[in-house]
Amino acid sequence: MFERFTADARRVVQQAMKVEAKALGSKTVEAEHLLLALSATIGVSRDDLITALDAETAASLDAVGVTMRPPPPPSRAAQPRIGASAKIALVRALESALARGDKEIRAEHVALGVLAADVGTVPRALAIAGLDRKALADRL
Amino acid sequence: MDTPTPAEPTPDDALAAVAALRRLADRVEDDAVERALADGWTWLRIAEALGVTKQAVHKKHARRLKEQ
Repeated sequence: MFERFTADARRVVQQAMKVEAKALGSKTVEAEHLLLALSATIGVSRDDLITALDAETAASLDAVGVTMRPPPPPSRAAQPRIGASAKIALVRALESALARGDKEIRAEHVALGVLAADVGTVPRALAIAGLDRKALADRL
Repeated sequence: MDTPTPAEPTPDDALAAVAALRRLADRVEDDAVERALADGWTWLRIAEALGVTKQAVHKKHARRLKEQ
């Protein structure tokens, strides 16, 4: 799947797996970890994205009456596997490159793939943070 | 005394809540398993307390805690 990814796009996927998902203690790499690895590409600070994701978790738990907040991530985490939402984002990255007639998959295509989701953690977190998903995609 | 139940969430909120609850459960589990091990619990006892097999708990946590 990654043959057509540029070095930059590969770095994003590697960072999502080896840094972001692992730092959050996640067993799988999800779209939100790709989003964090794409912070520079989409022009939103990583801190702001972390704040948005934390707010999404809090709001979602509140919606079912759960007030407990996740404990800090574990100090030691296993190498995560690729998760469903990241797979969908990477397929959409390929599709957005095809739609633009681009032969390579660059970091901005991965960003377009992540920003294409209209349900799930990423769009909810961006909405909570007041970030316009479509406007972010249009800038790419 | 019953605590007031929240208004029924929309499907969008309820589905997102399930995802958030899974993330919460994973974090609570990671933390609890580490603390149980530090207190001298065996993998077998941790597995029984979690209601899963020893193999499952070992696969999920032993490798993670052995790394580094």
